[in-house]
Amino acid sequence: MSLARAQSFEFHGVAEDQSPLATARLRLMIGVLMFMVAFGLMSVRTIELGLSSPSVQRSAARDIVVPPVTFARADIVDRNGELLAVNLQASSLYANPREVSDPAGLAQKLVDVLPGLSLAELEQKLSSKRAFVWIKRKLTPRQKWRVNALGDPALGFRNEEDRLYPHGRLAAHALGYVDVDGNGIAGVEHYFNDRLSEAERAGEPLALSIDVRVQYALADELEAAMRAHQAIGAAGLVMDVNSGEVVAMVSMPDFDPNNIRGVGDAERFNRVTKGVYELGSTFKTFTFANALDDGVATFEDGYDATKPLRISRFTINDDHPKNRYLTLPEIFAFSSNIGTAQMALDIGGDRQQEFLQSLGLLSPADLELTEVGAPMYPNTWRKVSTMTISYGHGIAVSPVQLATGISSMVNGGRLNTPTLLKSQSASHKGKSVISPATSRKMRQLLRLAVTKGTGGRSDARGYRVGGKTGTAEKAVGGGYDRKALISSFMGVYPMDDPQYAVFALLDEPKGTKETFGFASGGWVAAPVVKNVILRTALLLGVLPKAEDENLYQRVALMIEEDE
Amino acid sequence: MRRTFTFIAAVCALLSGAALLQLKLAVQEQAERVAALADQIHSDEKSLRILRAEFAHLTTPRSLQEQLIENLAIMPPRPDQIIENIGEIPFRRENTAVSGDLSVLLPATESPEGEPASSETKSGEDQTL
Repeated sequence: MSLARAQSFEFHGVAEDQSPLATARLRLMIGVLMFMVAFGLMSVRTIELGLSSPSVQRSAARDIVVPPVTFARADIVDRNGELLAVNLQASSLYANPREVSDPAGLAQKLVDVLPGLSLAELEQKLSSKRAFVWIKRKLTPRQKWRVNALGDPALGFRNEEDRLYPHGRLAAHALGYVDVDGNGIAGVEHYFNDRLSEAERAGEPLALSIDVRVQYALADELEAAMRAHQAIGAAGLVMDVNSGEVVAMVSMPDFDPNNIRGVGDAERFNRVTKGVYELGSTFKTFTFANALDDGVATFEDGYDATKPLRISRFTINDDHPKNRYLTLPEIFAFSSNIGTAQMALDIGGDRQQEFLQSLGLLSPADLELTEVGAPMYPNTWRKVSTMTISYGHGIAVSPVQLATGISSMVNGGRLNTPTLLKSQSASHKGKSVISPATSRKMRQLLRLAVTKGTGGRSDARGYRVGGKTGTAEKAVGGGYDRKALISSFMGVYPMDDPQYAVFALLDEPKGTKETFGFASGGWVAAPVVKNVILRTALLLGVLPKAEDENLYQRVALMIEEDE
Repeated sequence: MRRTFTFIAAVCALLSGAALLQLKLAVQEQAERVAALADQIHSDEKSLRILRAEFAHLTTPRSLQEQLIENLAIMPPRPDQIIENIGEIPFRRENTAVSGDLSVLLPATESPEGEPASSETKSGEDQTL
């Protein structure tokens, strides 16, 4: 081949000795050409890439690492995401006493900046031989700035986390509090301590069923009533009757979980869950439901309430005596102890006990708190116990148990477990304790107890409130103190489609001029429930509307009102 | 011709080298910016937590109520002021135009006139806020 080409060059008159050089150049040119083609392709591709708009934009976001904000304890929020408890960075002040030249002078300066400290104690700390002493834990940013302004090299800061409760006293009993090292000591902080301090779930807030707006309305009204009636304590509860969620829970006196130093046991005591009270006539609701559901009595029946009942050494009286034969709706509306006690005898002690047991009234409430009180009732259920328990004496339960029980009376007969956590599912299938028909009858009775009976002061216009008053004398040293009352009201609204139960209790209220000296549940607690309903019904999505009188007409006719 | 070509190629190589260096520096700069932004986001998230806590503290219902009483003359709505659908509002009859008196929104220093509410509510129960 090459020989032939060489011959052809020769033919054209090219010097024969140049042919190897020409061959080399030719080969080189081929190489150059190949490179040029390659570079050409690359530049064409480059231009194409430069001109074309990229179809798939590969984001570099996954390479960007934003260091997450870490904190040792998960937040607690209310049902609408409002912050209830949060961990924030705080600085704690320490000193190295070996570097302190003038302990007395520095102690004085520090006390000026941090007023809570004791001068003598501080001086002693600063003149010790140790290399590390805490001066004060968890300073506010302002205090930190002022300590820095002192410019003393012996002082230093350590970063720590501080648990803050932005709403202060609000919902203090539900939330509880933590110790200086961030361990939950009371409330949900204690009950859910493990869940809250779990490192993997710290970014995931714990959502409670509490609604701060409702919580405040209840706290505000209870506080006002407590002040007006000089009560020593108060308790209140708002519960969703269909899910058992506790929307608000107030116990007075309360405390500020941000600063639990010097808070006494009385303030820490949760009256809603730990306190057990003889709640009086509200219990008649259970006796009536029991009798109606078992068929022991019907609306058409009645009992003789002409004179007090005598049983062994007890006498059962009526607080609002009518001294006549009363129909069942009348016994409920006028809150007749005599009639209810007789009905309880017809039910029988064993069945009564069984019924109250099925409502969870004889065992501690199953709530997400460790501060849960055990109910008190007689060990041996005698005849007289059956009679007094039928109207709420001789048995003491906590308000949260009562609210759970009442909810099941009105919601169609399903007993829900009370909960402080926001419920995730919409449907709640509690176990059935009474039939829907009995529940409907109980709604009528409760509504009529408000429109015609003792609970009239709870009737928030438009919201179809039903409820039952409760007034009990406090047990003091084996007997009852006629002056010291536990006055309560258990309200549910709207009665044609029950949504929320509102409970208010005042401990030892005094009558005022406005209540004509009365301090019973109908006078002092019912108005609280009314005001709470007026303030919160709209927040909870219940609209006021005109009442369907037909729902109650038939039963209402059975109640003969005295002039 | 060949020299020109070599020269152009050399210039191209130099230029592209310089451009590549430039690009590398730019990428480094951008990477630094990204890191700075990530840091910024981190510290913003931190202060966001503090601000959220502060917001919750400042908007706690009690202080809102105190502010409201101090600055506005707003009362809780009465049940009869609430309607379920907008169709229930009747059309205004002709020639009954009212002047837009906004004084109802001002603090209750002077007695707010034109409020028919107080007469029919029972003994001021509804007024307790």
